[in-house]
Amino acid sequence: MEEYPEELRTPPVTLISIVGCPELHTTISKHLHSEQPPINTLALPDFTKISLFSKPEPDDPSPSPPIGILKRDWLSKHRTKIPSVLAALFSHSQLSSDPAAWLQVCSHIDQIKTVLRPRNIKLLVAVVLSDSNEDVSEDRMLALRKRVDLDSKYVVVFNQNEYSQSLQRLGSVLAELANLYYRDEGRRIKLRIEKKTFSSPGLELHIRYCFKVAVYAEFRRDWGEALRFYDEAYHILRQMIGTSKRLPAIQRLVEIKIVAEQLNFKISTLLLHAGKVAEAVTWFRQHNASYRRLVGAPEAIFLHWEWLSRQFLVFAELLDKSSAVIKNISSLVLATAEKPLTEWESRPAYYYQLAAQYLEEKRSSFEIALSMSETANEIDNSAESVVPSTYVGQFARLLEQGDIFVMQPLTDEEYIRFAVAEGKRFQDSFEIIALLKKSYESYSNLKVQRMASLCGFHMAREHYAVGEFNNAKPLFEGITNLYRQEGWVTLLWEVLGYLQECARKQGAVKDFIEYSLEMAALPASSGTDTQSFRFKNCGPAGPASLAQREVIHKEVLVLVSGESGLASVENSTNLKITVDNPLHLEIDLVSPLRSVLLASVAFHEQIIKPNSSTLITLSLLSQLPLTVEIDQLEVQFNQSDCNFIIMNSQRSPLASMADDKQGRRVETSPSLTLSTNRWLRLTYDIKSDQSGKLECTSVIAKMGPHFTICCRAESPASMDDLPIWKFEDRVESSPTKDPALAFTGQKAAQVEEPDPQVDLNLGASGPAFVGESFIVPVTVISTGHAVYAGELKINLVDVRGGGLFSPRETESLSMDSHHVELLGISGPEGEDETQLGTDEIKKIQKSFGLVSVPFLKCGESWSCKLEIKWHRPKPVMLYVSLGYSPHSNESTAQKVNVHKSLQIEGKTAVEFSHQIMLPFRRDPLLLSKIKLVPDPDQPASLPLCEKSVLIVSVKNSAEVPLRLLSMSLEVDNEGIEGSCSMQHEHETLLDPALLVPGEKFKKVFTVISEANSSKLRLGTVCVRWRRDSVNEEQSGSTIVSVLTTQTLPDVNAELPPLVVSLDCPPYAILGDPFTFLVKIQNQTQLLQEVKFSLADAQSFVLSGSHNDTVFVLPKSEYILNYKLVPLASGIQQLPRFTLTSERYSAGFQPSVNASTIFVFPSKPHFKVADMEDKRKESIVAE
Amino acid sequence: MIVCVAVVGHQNNPLYIQSFTEADDALKLHHIVHCSLDVVDERVNNPKKSGPTLNETFLGLLYPTENYKVYGYLTNTKVKFILVTTDLDVRDADVRNFFRRFHAAYVDAVSNPFHVPGKKITSRTFAERVSTIVKSFGSSSAG
Repeated sequence: MEEYPEELRTPPVTLISIVGCPELHTTISKHLHSEQPPINTLALPDFTKISLFSKPEPDDPSPSPPIGILKRDWLSKHRTKIPSVLAALFSHSQLSSDPAAWLQVCSHIDQIKTVLRPRNIKLLVAVVLSDSNEDVSEDRMLALRKRVDLDSKYVVVFNQNEYSQSLQRLGSVLAELANLYYRDEGRRIKLRIEKKTFSSPGLELHIRYCFKVAVYAEFRRDWGEALRFYDEAYHILRQMIGTSKRLPAIQRLVEIKIVAEQLNFKISTLLLHAGKVAEAVTWFRQHNASYRRLVGAPEAIFLHWEWLSRQFLVFAELLDKSSAVIKNISSLVLATAEKPLTEWESRPAYYYQLAAQYLEEKRSSFEIALSMSETANEIDNSAESVVPSTYVGQFARLLEQGDIFVMQPLTDEEYIRFAVAEGKRFQDSFEIIALLKKSYESYSNLKVQRMASLCGFHMAREHYAVGEFNNAKPLFEGITNLYRQEGWVTLLWEVLGYLQECARKQGAVKDFIEYSLEMAALPASSGTDTQSFRFKNCGPAGPASLAQREVIHKEVLVLVSGESGLASVENSTNLKITVDNPLHLEIDLVSPLRSVLLASVAFHEQIIKPNSSTLITLSLLSQLPLTVEIDQLEVQFNQSDCNFIIMNSQRSPLASMADDKQGRRVETSPSLTLSTNRWLRLTYDIKSDQSGKLECTSVIAKMGPHFTICCRAESPASMDDLPIWKFEDRVESSPTKDPALAFTGQKAAQVEEPDPQVDLNLGASGPAFVGESFIVPVTVISTGHAVYAGELKINLVDVRGGGLFSPRETESLSMDSHHVELLGISGPEGEDETQLGTDEIKKIQKSFGLVSVPFLKCGESWSCKLEIKWHRPKPVMLYVSLGYSPHSNESTAQKVNVHKSLQIEGKTAVEFSHQIMLPFRRDPLLLSKIKLVPDPDQPASLPLCEKSVLIVSVKNSAEVPLRLLSMSLEVDNEGIEGSCSMQHEHETLLDPALLVPGEKFKKVFTVISEANSSKLRLGTVCVRWRRDSVNEEQSGSTIVSVLTTQTLPDVNAELPPLVVSLDCPPYAILGDPFTFLVKIQNQTQLLQEVKFSLADAQSFVLSGSHNDTVFVLPKSEYILNYKLVPLASGIQQLPRFTLTSERYSAGFQPSVNASTIFVFPSKPHFKVADMEDKRKESIVAE
Repeated sequence: MIVCVAVVGHQNNPLYIQSFTEADDALKLHHIVHCSLDVVDERVNNPKKSGPTLNETFLGLLYPTENYKVYGYLTNTKVKFILVTTDLDVRDADVRNFFRRFHAAYVDAVSNPFHVPGKKITSRTFAERVSTIVKSFGSSSAG
């Protein structure tokens, strides 16, 4: 597009001219240029220059037949030379001063008018006023107007005081006049078309007129009309092809094509400018279709291709430019039912690609043309004087005849010679590469990788053709990846052929061998693709076929054998594999060379004992067309001691190999021959003394003296398919004979650790108790191994299992994860923790501990104690593992591990229970107990200001006897008094109570609640105990007593309104009457009405009132008096007393226990101590 | 005239490619078939076209090269058929008809119990049948 002249490339801009008042020219032209649409200004310094616009007299007035279609300079003439309007500026002084000046003005005007009339250029006169008080007289203005013979609006006053306003006005008038001019001109020419003023075969004029009308329309920015007339011109031009006889055939076609090119350019630009991409594409397709077959004379074919290529290039550039404006070109719906367009046709890349393709065509036909002209060998220098002639698309010879130059028409032969000479100046390859590069980049940006690959391939081929191997190679390599991946063998073969040649020409032996081997191992067979023999434009490697593969393979074999037979690469001396230049290829898991050599290694056993041997199968596969003889195989492991070498017994060991197998295991195989697609299976013993992973890393095949292939070992179980061969229909066999091994075989095996010869003992006895520090002795006894760098790991794990809880359980676990805690690890006897060296590891966490074990000789032992504390009863798993190395060199030696585990139950040692008792035969009415439905959650109630008895009992729930050291009630609240506890505690301390399992220990406390608080805290029972261990002195260690505490539940204390006490003797004697008193005590400030009744009892005769209602005065006592005579002996039930309080509508009865008495048959004779009597008395008194 | 037909597998690998020209441009045709896969990808990935074409196996004209027209077809198992023809005026119905018959032949070929899915089609019967279909393509469009 850049080679088009400027006037064609850009839309035309209105041109006007100004003359007079030169000091204003700059501002005016600047203003006009910034107008929308812009106007170009041709500023004439003075009136004499007006003659520039005069129309030359035609040399020959009679109309001669046109000798060309478009004049070359017509467009530029109208854009730069012929203005549409001439603005004549006259200053105030010129008009208003002396008559001489006025005369001058008149003569200028006349001159202007004569010049402008034949060209129809519009005239505008501006009177410039530089001062506000300047004024041109009315007469003068009238005279001026008359003189110029113009409408009054085209005579403007340019007032410099109202500068911008005047400029504005001038600009709009100028634009209007220019528009008028272009419209008139267009009309004038249109009239000529309509009148058919040209002779019918003279289509040239018709085209020219259409072109002119279109250009004038463009000046007016009437794009629709412009398009219409360009289109018309284009179609008439197409008709000319068969009919015109004006020029010699070749040049005629050239002219038509060049004109068509210009018209096409204009039309495409206008269409794209209007955003009609689909129409532009359709238009261009038509353009292409109508001219593509117009090849022309055979010797000028290259001109056609060049032209066609340029069409595509220009359209691509136009599309490129407009696609920047039209945002999403791909989203445009291009296809219509009758004219389906594809996605690519709206993309510049497509056109760039075709432009390149046609340029390639041009080059090849140009070469033919060149060879033809060179055989003629008559390239004279006459071609040098050929220049473009007056008409677009025509060329003529410029002849110097004296002072004047004469254009002489050319014959076709001369023209071809000229064109060939011109063509030689161009480097088509660079052009093609540039085009392809644009296309390549554009496709790549669109992620259209296959098209991009094709462009890249063509590009690389161009580079290759001009010998730029460094540029070609990366492009070729980029393409191979795609073809490899998608398995396009023929395409890959071609590219590899180029790469191989590149490598050959660059002397890169490694690359050459790699590409050659890959090609030889490609699945290109002549089986189905019979036509592959017929590739015409196949790459340097020839057609992809089995025969060709064999040729390449042989070539490689010769090269790697290191023999002198390098015939195929005779032009390159450095393509050689020698001692100084050995070759080593690496084949990894993604290498395309996997099909050249594939190594699969399978251990027959997954887990092997150290120092015991197992079998390993090594399988090799090659897809090379010929059989390959391997001289030596080296199998490498991650444990380098296991590496071994397999020699081919049929080959004499080469001298160079002798030195590098020092101290290695060497095996010999009768044959190491690889034939196509057949596994070579080799099975050998393997032994390792190092525990851990034993993995085969690679297999190195040596062929020839200086050529090795290192092939990464693969497991048969996880082996990928061969990259390209996987699409082939071939026989697939398993790499190992045993099909099971082929499915499961791994290239790595686990070597077990040696058996430990160290005993680890955990000496814990019985269950642990909550609260105590449970000691677990751990003993390490060496029975065969010395222990170096021993490390003891301790883990406490919940028996419920780790890792198998639901989240909620985990949460609860994490909360009570410290219910069992590893408190510490103490070393062997006497060894304090501080004595442990700083270098020794000792880490203790709540459930994890790590301690280092000192060096132990064989037979020695070491022990430590773990101290574990339970906070809650729960079973726990204790894992202890010892890791050590049996040898002193710690860094390399394998660690041996011994594991032990022990489940320890955590239990509660003591159980508490308690009981609150009221004084005997004294029953308070507790209002909270009256409720009909007793609330189980309600705490026990205590009467206020009464002495109650609290009995706390401790039961040994453990399986071992315990010794109780002390028991106390810790009170943290007033109102509770344990008056007699001190005395008992002392007793217990002096002689610790032995509790056998299941036995209970009870202790009595007295409670008097004083404060009238609803909640009464009874306190916490603290029990100090220890295990009753027989050998406690022997162990020496202090068995620390354990303090177990339990808080007693709270009780309610309330004031009972009524208290009933029964008073009777401790015993009765048969037939002996006794007094039975019932005291009803009113503790309130209110008068209490109570109903009572006394039921009869069988064993007693009773005197006193049975039923009555009495009133008990506030804070006083009412006493009921009965006399009873027992009638039967033994334990007898007293008459039941029932009381009902009216106020609280609650009745109550003393308990059965309280109303029982023992009746002696006769008066007993006691022989007891005084104390007993006293006690009896006291009970009676109460 | 049909110059090339191809069956392309899931990984865009050629399963069967056969050209029917006397001229030695098989390689060029391979390139054309390969490049047309880009268009197939684009069509399949951006089904921006109107509704009825959404589920259609026939993909239509893929790629207008200067001398050839390329048509595509996508089976329900995502195997692609590509047709390259030199005819400039091809009726859609003919192409559809061709692809239908080609599809039938392909289905028969891969139904062979000895055929491994995803591998190249080496059946000779299939090749013969395809060449018959290709030959009849010209005649049916002429008639």
